[in-house]
Amino acid sequence: MQASRARLFKEYKEVQREKVADPDIQLACDDTNIFKWTALIKGPSETPYEGGVFQLAFAVPEQYPLQPPQVRFLTKIFHPNVHFKTGEICLDILKNAWSPAWTLQSVCRAIIALMAHPEPDSPLNCDSGNLLRSGDIRGFHSMARMYTRLAAMPKKG
Amino acid sequence: MQNQEGLQADGEVKSATSVPATEFDEWANFADNDIMQQHSAIHAEEAEKIPYVADKEPLSSLAAEYQSGSTILLEKIKVLNEQYASIRRTRGDGNCFFRSFMFSYLEHILESQDQAEVNRIKANVEECRKTLQGLGYTDFTFEDFFTLFIEQLDSVLQGNEDSISHDELVVRSRDQSISDYVVMFFRFVTAGEIQKRSEFFEPFIMGLTNATVEQFCKSSVEPMGEESDHVHITALSDALGVPIRVVYLDRSSCDNGGVSVNHHDFIPADSNLPNASGGKTFSPFITLLYRPGHYDILYQK
Repeated sequence: MQASRARLFKEYKEVQREKVADPDIQLACDDTNIFKWTALIKGPSETPYEGGVFQLAFAVPEQYPLQPPQVRFLTKIFHPNVHFKTGEICLDILKNAWSPAWTLQSVCRAIIALMAHPEPDSPLNCDSGNLLRSGDIRGFHSMARMYTRLAAMPKKG
Repeated sequence: MQNQEGLQADGEVKSATSVPATEFDEWANFADNDIMQQHSAIHAEEAEKIPYVADKEPLSSLAAEYQSGSTILLEKIKVLNEQYASIRRTRGDGNCFFRSFMFSYLEHILESQDQAEVNRIKANVEECRKTLQGLGYTDFTFEDFFTLFIEQLDSVLQGNEDSISHDELVVRSRDQSISDYVVMFFRFVTAGEIQKRSEFFEPFIMGLTNATVEQFCKSSVEPMGEESDHVHITALSDALGVPIRVVYLDRSSCDNGGVSVNHHDFIPADSNLPNASGGKTFSPFITLLYRPGHYDILYQK
């Protein structure tokens, strides 16, 4: 518990320093609980998520950094490796490939990379995975784009 | 597209919570987190059987395991009996090599009170720190693990306020918040060494997987619970300058009919070992027993 707190505090300081360095990620700690974080990440360019801003919720376990943080999308997203209802993310580094060499910040970068490079063979969203696996790139793009517009972009008017 | 009915209904994306939970939904939501919980339940079950580091047992307890099994193994255990007195088991959680190394090394320092060896390894640990920094690792991701290892090292040396007894060393080796941190320290050291000398390790890694050296470290060295191979052992032994003997207990038999037990000595690449020059008399102070998939600690007679 003490170890995880100390580590998170170091990450907190690092985040303050890196804010300028990475304009695509805004990571913030809950005011009253250092084990709760949220992040706003920008959808990567040349993907159906471009122009969208996606919110992530982090729940950090007491065993952190020996155990990975739990991360999910709060913003609705149509992506093969994100559960459409819960926002849960299927990403190896959040599961068995986790190591303390990762940080909350680098996890955000890995999630952005996952948005740009879906892995349709291990889908949490089968509809989305099937579109990609059957080669219907256009179908996938239009669905993903529609949800980006609906959920991840500021409402006009 | 059953998941998107909310959209078709009224053009708005509804959150999952607004959908009444049915039995089907519970299965639909049985996802990776549940699988991970199941994994940790299995680990907890395993933990009840054996602590991270168990008590020392006579070698006869090893023979008892195979009483109704392979005669080759029983013969080999007899051979082991000539040289080794006891065994200390470690938990089979994928960290057994690092855990065995940790206990064996700290126990050796506790018993030998070899200040020169402590100074030597501390210098190597500093090198490892520089290696990781050079590879672009962020300091705060590994420094806590380094600090904790140095603390353990200092505390097994007697005569300080923080000195610990052998019993306390056993207790700490079973305390996850210390034991796992030291294991993770070794994982960082191993990953750093492999990447620093990637040209040397690349062919060995290609023999194991299709991964690049960096991918191998990310997926098979740094994560807790990933099992160790000769690549890990070579890298750790080289990085810290600590020789390791691994005794193999498997069913392989010799052509000449006699039973012998193979061992392999991992001798650090560039070090002038205190007793390496002695040739035949060389005996590493860390001896591990390898049975396919698992490492335990062996004690010489």
